[in-house]
Amino acid sequence: MNTWFRFLLVPTLSVPLLAAGYGYVEKPEPPPTQAEKDDGCVSVPVDPAAKPGDASVLDFEYPYYGNTPEELIPFRGVEPYYRYWTKRLPFRGPGRDYPDPPDLKSLKIGLLSPPPYGPEGARGKRSRQGVLLAVEEANAARRPGQLPFEIIEKEDSPQWGSAANIAVEFKDADVLGFLGTIDGDATHVALRVALKIETYMINASDPDPTLTETQIPWLTRVWPDDRQQCFRLALLAVKQHGCRRIAVFRESSRPGRVGVMHFNNYIRRLGYPPVAHLFFKPGDKDISAQIQAIKAAEPDAVLFYGQPEDVGRFVKMFREAGLTARFYGFDRLQEDAFRREAGEHAEGMTITYFFNPHRTDPVWLDFAARYEKRWGEKPDVYAAYGYDAARLMIEAIDHAGPNRFRIRDYLAGLEEWDGVTGHMIFDGRWDNIAPITIARFHHGEWQYDPPPAPNWRPRRTQQAQAGAARP
Amino acid sequence: MKPRDLSPWLTVALAVTTLQAAETTPAAFKDIPFPVIERFENFGKAEGIPTEKVHAVYKTTDGRLWLGTWNGLCVRREDGRFHRYGPEDGLSHKMVLQIVEDPQTGDLWIATMRGLTRLSGGRFTVYTQTNSGLPNNVVYGVDVREGRVWVATAAGAGSFNPKTGEWKIYDHNNTVMHEPWCYAIKATPDKVFIGVWGGGIIEHDPRRGTFKEYRDPDRDFHYDLVPDDGPINDITSWLSWEDGVLWQCTYFGFARYEGRGWKTWVEEKTPLLSNFTQFVWPHRRVAWIGMDRGVSVTDGETWVNYEVGPKGEGLRTLYRPGQPPEVQTMPTALANCFVLGIYVDDEEAWFATSNGLSRGVFAPYPRPATVARARP
Repeated sequence: MNTWFRFLLVPTLSVPLLAAGYGYVEKPEPPPTQAEKDDGCVSVPVDPAAKPGDASVLDFEYPYYGNTPEELIPFRGVEPYYRYWTKRLPFRGPGRDYPDPPDLKSLKIGLLSPPPYGPEGARGKRSRQGVLLAVEEANAARRPGQLPFEIIEKEDSPQWGSAANIAVEFKDADVLGFLGTIDGDATHVALRVALKIETYMINASDPDPTLTETQIPWLTRVWPDDRQQCFRLALLAVKQHGCRRIAVFRESSRPGRVGVMHFNNYIRRLGYPPVAHLFFKPGDKDISAQIQAIKAAEPDAVLFYGQPEDVGRFVKMFREAGLTARFYGFDRLQEDAFRREAGEHAEGMTITYFFNPHRTDPVWLDFAARYEKRWGEKPDVYAAYGYDAARLMIEAIDHAGPNRFRIRDYLAGLEEWDGVTGHMIFDGRWDNIAPITIARFHHGEWQYDPPPAPNWRPRRTQQAQAGAARP
Repeated sequence: MKPRDLSPWLTVALAVTTLQAAETTPAAFKDIPFPVIERFENFGKAEGIPTEKVHAVYKTTDGRLWLGTWNGLCVRREDGRFHRYGPEDGLSHKMVLQIVEDPQTGDLWIATMRGLTRLSGGRFTVYTQTNSGLPNNVVYGVDVREGRVWVATAAGAGSFNPKTGEWKIYDHNNTVMHEPWCYAIKATPDKVFIGVWGGGIIEHDPRRGTFKEYRDPDRDFHYDLVPDDGPINDITSWLSWEDGVLWQCTYFGFARYEGRGWKTWVEEKTPLLSNFTQFVWPHRRVAWIGMDRGVSVTDGETWVNYEVGPKGEGLRTLYRPGQPPEVQTMPTALANCFVLGIYVDDEEAWFATSNGLSRGVFAPYPRPATVARARP
């Protein structure tokens, strides 16, 4: 039979048979509703005249490489075959029109915290306190008829994959979204589950640059990652301070490896690769071999990455061994453990930090006062970003209702947002790329530079000026 | 579509049509070196599937169709309806991610979000990280070859010998993987391929105990510096192997390795529908790729893509080497463009989607003389 005739025959026969009520007849799907169109499932036919390769991928909607300066980007001067994250990946699955879950008694938000007895336990506690404060304030402000928020708390364990199991428990508890955590490995495995359970995750404290490079459109990170710190430190050391022989001394761990990874690349691209790259184990007491090796490299700068008590102890050892190089570090050295261990040798340490905690703007002061009243201590960055993450999730749920897919759309569509930590700008990977600041330990205290002005703003601002200051 | 529901008139009409058409491949598809889908039949809650989201579809050697869904394991009964098994029946968790059959025993091995489940002789047996040597309870992938069960979990790969009860774990302590996040596994006659999150692909030779790593040479997630230089990305979301060809899914594109060199594909620059590739089912050196925008089918040269059009119609686009694409409208479409699982044999194609199950009915084509049962 002629092919065209066969294609014509079936619909020709089907229509009258269907009209006459003869059983089931294959028919086209009904026209999609607007909600279905929003799912992104719809495809527009390709232009038959087009050939693969015709389409341009250089339509940059977002700054490239976490807004890293051009001179630090790899393969600069060479146009790669393909670039990722020049625009955001859509979620094309269904779900936005699913009915609300029946018989809801609360709006559940998961909170994945690090093990309380591990190295991140204290930071996790402060982050948790920020989250709980946000939820308590939101519940206190609920109007009659509005469901309260409920935090479903789970603590990770120091075992690979534990966070994956916890994320499944969040799914079983029907959370609408979840928050966490600090450990890069735990956050990674939880994120992969987030994709499977289609539940949005806001990360408030994992600095691992590779986290958002997994291309999973179910994650926003409010915490500026180590990439932001690395390029600030690289430019500061090489361009401003004129350092040419930089040694790297970091913790032998996954956070240590991915933490300095970009710094090493950036100084190499500036023409000054690390003259030494040595490791220590957390808690090490004897680092004489590393000191000897680093001294032999004759560095004019040393970058440290590790827990503040370790780095503080090592800074003291380095200075006492006669090393006069400039010292640089990451945000954690701002914690008291660093100055306690380093003692007088803390003087001169330069670090990157997210914002000035001595800010005097009303938003910060008001938050700090509320936090101190609730918990009896001043907030740090973990508390503040935890608070912001929870506020953002609450805002999304209030805006979208108890539907995980609409919550995703709201959060994944954010371009900017104002929290107690400051103004956030989200890039094509949903990372906060707002400029961070520099702090120097001088005369026994941290002194903070004002952060540089953003050099990029979103083309379109969907939601901003959210109510972080309005509990 | 269920044949039992067809009216006698329509049945006769379709039978005549099919019989006559079956003699030759439609001219439009004559130069397509693999089966082309002429229409889709869709199944959902009306047929007893308990939820919209179907993760996996698998046909066992006895011809029965099994589904892994957001809410349980399903099997299609003779009346065409689906029967559900859940945790109350012994399944380890209601979210089922993958199903494979041990062809020697007929046992089903079921990967779930909380443990591995074996269905044997009508009985479920659950393996978890606390009652067995399973590396982690989140089991993304499972495969069986020569009686040995292989799993990919959130904390390493594992192998299990059901006869001896012996487990072996493969992670960062005893292999080349630097992080033990495993998302797919495929056992072949002499190698086992492990898809690792951030670690590319690991090739394991169980006889020699060796491990070999395949990584994206540019080592940067923001770029693909040059095409065809290795895996398209180090984050492997799925992989499979058939007839000497290894296929890699990532959320950055798609790749193939034939033992000599790599070939990579990305959206916009190649016919690949989307970079977000979630699943591949190879059948006779042809890859059936499930992604967030539909299905691409390719032998590496010719491509046929299936999408959902603006009015809910099916869109089929044929890419022949050296020719402009040819877009064809189909009266029926995939149940949803978000395709999570695929099963293909010489007779038909099945698609697990986020909004139901689809069957792809092939246009007549010259079937292979020997219908070998592939088991990707």
